Amino acid sequence: MKTLEDVLQATAAKGQSAVDLLRNAQAGPNVYPGVPPEYTNWRDETQAWQKACVLFNLSFHMADLYVEGPDATKLLASLAINTFKNVSPGRAKQFVPCSHDGHVIGDVILFNSAPDKYVLVGRIPALNWITYHAQAGKHDVKLELDERSAARKDPFNRKQYRFQIQGPNAMKTMEKALGAKPPEVKFFHVATLTIAGKKVTALRHGMAGQPGFELVGPMAEGDAVRDAIVRAGEEFGLRLVGGRAYSANTLESGWIPSPLPAVYSGDKMKPYRQWLKEDSYEARASIGGSFVSKKIEDYYLTPWDMGYGSFIDFEHEFIGREALQRLAKGAHRKKVTLALDNDGVLKVIASQLQKSGRGKFWEFPSAVYSMHPYDKVLADGKAAGISTWVGYSANEGRMLTIAILDAEHAEPGTEVTFVWGEENGGTKKPTVEPHRQMEIRAVVCPAPYVEAVRKTYTDRGWRTQATA
Amino acid sequence: MSHRNLEEVLKAAGNTVAMLRNSQIGAYVYPVVPSEFSNWRDEQTAWQKTAVLFDQSHHMVEQYVQGPDTLRFFTHLGMNSFASFPVDRAKQLAPTSYDGYIIGDGILFHLEKDHMVFVGRAPAASWIEFHATTGGFNVKTKKDDRSPGNTRGLAINRTNYRFQIQGPNAWKVIEKLNGGPVPELKFFHMATMKIAGRTVRTLRHGMAGAPGLEVWGPYAEREEVRAAIVAAGREFGLKEVGSRAYATNTCESGWIPSPLPAVYTGEKMRKYREWLPATSYEATGSIGGSFASSNIEDYYVTPYEMGYGPFIKFDHDFIGKEALQKLAGKPHRRKVTLAWNADDVVKVWRSMLEQGDPYKFLDLPLSNYTSATYDKVTKNGKQVGLNMFSGYSYNERSMLSLGIVDPDVELGAEVKIVWGEEGGGTKKTTVERHRQIEIRAIVSPAPYARQAQTTYHEGWRSKATA
Repeated sequence: MKTLEDVLQATAAKGQSAVDLLRNAQAGPNVYPGVPPEYTNWRDETQAWQKACVLFNLSFHMADLYVEGPDATKLLASLAINTFKNVSPGRAKQFVPCSHDGHVIGDVILFNSAPDKYVLVGRIPALNWITYHAQAGKHDVKLELDERSAARKDPFNRKQYRFQIQGPNAMKTMEKALGAKPPEVKFFHVATLTIAGKKVTALRHGMAGQPGFELVGPMAEGDAVRDAIVRAGEEFGLRLVGGRAYSANTLESGWIPSPLPAVYSGDKMKPYRQWLKEDSYEARASIGGSFVSKKIEDYYLTPWDMGYGSFIDFEHEFIGREALQRLAKGAHRKKVTLALDNDGVLKVIASQLQKSGRGKFWEFPSAVYSMHPYDKVLADGKAAGISTWVGYSANEGRMLTIAILDAEHAEPGTEVTFVWGEENGGTKKPTVEPHRQMEIRAVVCPAPYVEAVRKTYTDRGWRTQATA
Repeated sequence: MSHRNLEEVLKAAGNTVAMLRNSQIGAYVYPVVPSEFSNWRDEQTAWQKTAVLFDQSHHMVEQYVQGPDTLRFFTHLGMNSFASFPVDRAKQLAPTSYDGYIIGDGILFHLEKDHMVFVGRAPAASWIEFHATTGGFNVKTKKDDRSPGNTRGLAINRTNYRFQIQGPNAWKVIEKLNGGPVPELKFFHMATMKIAGRTVRTLRHGMAGAPGLEVWGPYAEREEVRAAIVAAGREFGLKEVGSRAYATNTCESGWIPSPLPAVYTGEKMRKYREWLPATSYEATGSIGGSFASSNIEDYYVTPYEMGYGPFIKFDHDFIGKEALQKLAGKPHRRKVTLAWNADDVVKVWRSMLEQGDPYKFLDLPLSNYTSATYDKVTKNGKQVGLNMFSGYSYNERSMLSLGIVDPDVELGAEVKIVWGEEGGGTKKTTVERHRQIEIRAIVSPAPYARQAQTTYHEGWRSKATA
């Protein structure tokens, strides 16, 4: 079977770059299968996570990689920018591997259930990278990949269900479902609970500054646990969240779901590209948006871009360490939220009712139309950075994007311009209809945008520091 | 708590309109088919410019009737003439209640001698099943229900796949599949052909004046037949249409899919209500929109209003005949397309970026939020009609809805659609708290023709969208 490297070389032979390949990939945004687009309606579902509580069903859209064996910790630590000193059974952390050049490969959650026993959950590029190194480095580990629904023949036959209970009433709902006060568990620590007679692994989580739980257990028990939570949550305004609202929630919490895996260039990464298959995520991924550079490296992100600068631990050896030490001395871009100008947004939307000159269709609530959105952000007509996730927050009543800007333009209150849509009528992605680019003014705001999140996450939140 | 049938559900609810307007069933789902194959804008464009493959395998009920009395049975339910309805013909069947109001409609296929299948929404299918099983006819029935809205990983197994190949290039695709010319049958005549080595049955159909085919066969063969159609269609720009775009094609073609079945009242209909389960479409479905009457009968519509007047033939006895004979020759409300004012539509979206309750969210391309849409249409402050199905056409660059207006409301007239529900909205799950807004609209022909845009030049439409 052909490899990613073969695909890239064939592309180069046609006089095209990796950027051309990915920007014209025949893939739309990641899907949220297994849950309906809306249980009730996405407006009320969105408001419920800020005003009452919600149940997110994360059982289907992420891949799980089980890593077990004497070398498991050694392997993972050698790939992670963050320290493993504070990893112990019953804890979780963000796991952020980088390329040799210090660019982000992926960003997933790691659970440590027993000594040298882990499961990593998220988009697959980080998991592929681990699998490759486990094999190439002949590590004494056993790996088992449980693919996301969209990438398997038996879409819903996952090993585990994964729910989150979030929102200001999340703990009241949990208390009712448990029949007792939820145990005091530190953020990103795990407890074992019993719901509906089933043993449930519960990760203490949180959203919008409110404590919550992520609940995991065998797939076959998922319905019973979910039904018990839905019943318990009835009096607290719990809503099930469908695929439409779910994909927009990160706009408020400020996490970037979609860094392009930094695997497409560099000699040191070549063996990995020769290992990745032609039908891998990396070979099929799509980039969308107004940001166009010939160099694929311009799409790579550093840990600082993602807001993870403080995670980096130079006390241990890991891939990318030297590069990051060099980068540490330079200037860093900053993750921010852009609040888009209402009139500019309405011009795009109103253009759908015009004969010609229509802007790129603006979907509610998530306006993302590729696996890796990259839009251009300008200040005084010059490049100021890129914008990633984009969409509408029914809580804030605003169109928001998560952007990465040069420090000089990243001060809250700075006015910038966000460029919506692709050049020359658009690329060949299936989700792109003919359209024209339109500029929208935007104001730089902190990330996360939501006030409650900004206040609560500064000290203890995983989006900033605590799990570094 | 648990009711056995619709009659008991209605008795317990007390107020039928309030029950249906506050139904908790959620959106009317077009199941299983992916929401978009490419994107709904390009998919809509394809049915007007190139060719499309509609997958109708999942959202409709198939109600089979077989036996010596089959023709006599459908003659008893149908207002159409069955004087000439041989095997390999199809016709639209729109049964009415005893009072002459629409129960539902769909397509009736004459499959073989004494064997027919009705394909459509649940209400007409249930009406057929009820009369076939209780009316003393020598027929057997078989029902193949629509696919579930949320499959949650369960295997789907319909009797048939059902595809349509439509659009200006449809016939080229069909001839390529056939490896040569295909005799062009008359509209709604049936035949067979081979696709991917499989025998498929065909119904001559069409869209926007271009001939097309509906094709069907055993469900297990669906993927090979689909793959062959997609491969043959590639050079002709054929696109597979997802569920988001699919439901909106009627906004351009002018068929109203969702009149409320006229089953909730009348002593003569009681037996049927006692037969309909408490889980039926009729007992669980929803009414949504600004038209709020305390009388459920105000939601009923006649075949004349749905545009089926020309079908009605009094050459035979059928349920509803006497009532329709009384209505015949009287002035009727008539079916029209309403082309929405762009500025007013933008106001709806603007409200989402402003303080306070927004207007009812206007989803694209399908904007219905209920099983049966009933919005008030007014002119000079007086109600002159009902808006019954709303969506956006990327081809026409306009919000287009289908509705019925009083006989004296002329083409080209400006009316107002009241968008959203009163008092912040009903308790339907698809309804967030919102305000109502009046949206100007131009009364246009159904189906909506491009010429309408050039004919009605005066006024805001040409200006606003210029």
